[in-house]
Amino acid sequence: MKLNFLKAIALAGTVGLTACSTVPTTTPTLDEARADFVAANNNPQIATYAPMEFKQAGESLDRANQAAANKESLDTIDRLAYVAKQRIATAQEVAKAKTAESQVAKAGRERDRVQLEARTAEADRAKRDAATAQAQAAQAQAQAQDAQAQAAAAQQQAAQQTERASRLEALLVELHAQKTERGMVVTIGDVLFATDRAELNANGMATVRKLADIMTQNPGRTVMVEGFTDSTGGAAHNKDLSERRAASVAQALTSQGVPRERIAMRGYGEAFPVASNDSASNRQLNRRVEIVLSNEGATIPPRAAQR
Amino acid sequence: MDTKSINLLTRVGAAAVVLSLAACASPEKTPATAAVAVSHNAVENAVSAGAPELAPTEINAARDKMMRANQALAAKDYKAARELAVQAQVDAKLAQSKANSAKATAAANALNEDLRVLRQEVDRANSDQQQ
Repeated sequence: MKLNFLKAIALAGTVGLTACSTVPTTTPTLDEARADFVAANNNPQIATYAPMEFKQAGESLDRANQAAANKESLDTIDRLAYVAKQRIATAQEVAKAKTAESQVAKAGRERDRVQLEARTAEADRAKRDAATAQAQAAQAQAQAQDAQAQAAAAQQQAAQQTERASRLEALLVELHAQKTERGMVVTIGDVLFATDRAELNANGMATVRKLADIMTQNPGRTVMVEGFTDSTGGAAHNKDLSERRAASVAQALTSQGVPRERIAMRGYGEAFPVASNDSASNRQLNRRVEIVLSNEGATIPPRAAQR
Repeated sequence: MDTKSINLLTRVGAAAVVLSLAACASPEKTPATAAVAVSHNAVENAVSAGAPELAPTEINAARDKMMRANQALAAKDYKAARELAVQAQVDAKLAQSKANSAKATAAANALNEDLRVLRQEVDRANSDQQQ
């Protein structure tokens, strides 16, 4: 009887042990929780963004591990492991949310930066466009001014030419110039010279001054000064006198500011008379100096062969 | 074995069951009302965070356990009520954080997409200018 009772006690103890610990030190849920814990531990975002949640999860896992080590019931271990597992998952989600929030903040700043950049670029572009337009306008204005200035210059030149032409004409009329193939011919008659001398008198000087004016206003023209005499006296004397008179006129022109290189001269003596030498008045006509004024820019052709 | 010893064995076995129950489940008589209230709060927070749409599995699990915790409470099974309440609480917390992370991720994705489009526009404007 007593033995039986002891046996029964031992049996009851065995039953009690089996009830508490069907031995496995782990359950599938606990295994999962442990694996999740390792994964979370390797996630740097957890350490940054969910340290508190992760600490709590770790404590829950510790309790589940402790229950397993104490060989508590599978239910208890599972229950604790489940809590640990959910808390680890919560820590993961918190970290994920905070990471996304920091991305939102970063993206917001980045968007502001890009928008500012875009506006700056647009403003720069507008400024550049405006500057280009302004430069173009200025250029157009300058061109218009140029054209205007050219037109004015052309008009002025035309006016000057007209004025010069009319003044030239007036002077030539005044000097009784004659139009010939060689150019305009102005004759300085004998009366403008001192008798039998080469010097011009006051009237002669006045005529030369007018000629010098024409020369100054028409820089493209040259003159040929030609001296002539009547048939009275020796040929040598007459040639000499005609040359001296021509030289005297050339000298007078030079003294009025006409450059020497624009003046050619020649003495022909008694050659090329304009009248017969049979009367005093005719002889006086032959004693003369002819000044041939070239056409604009043209050279004076030589006198045709002696008559 | 005689009838008497069988009878004894039965009695001892019953005692062993009682003993084992006492050993495994230290009877927790503390009213679990507080734990259930905390869990109820956690579920409500999760719902208002959008868990029904964004974490349906977790919030359904939490609600189911809440219901069972309330039933256990009514049946005065405080231990079960407390355990279920704790589980409902961790489920609800997970549901809430899942909902939050889903919303934050969506916001980040939307903003990143905005940024991508904006960059594209700026690049296009700049390259148009260079042409």
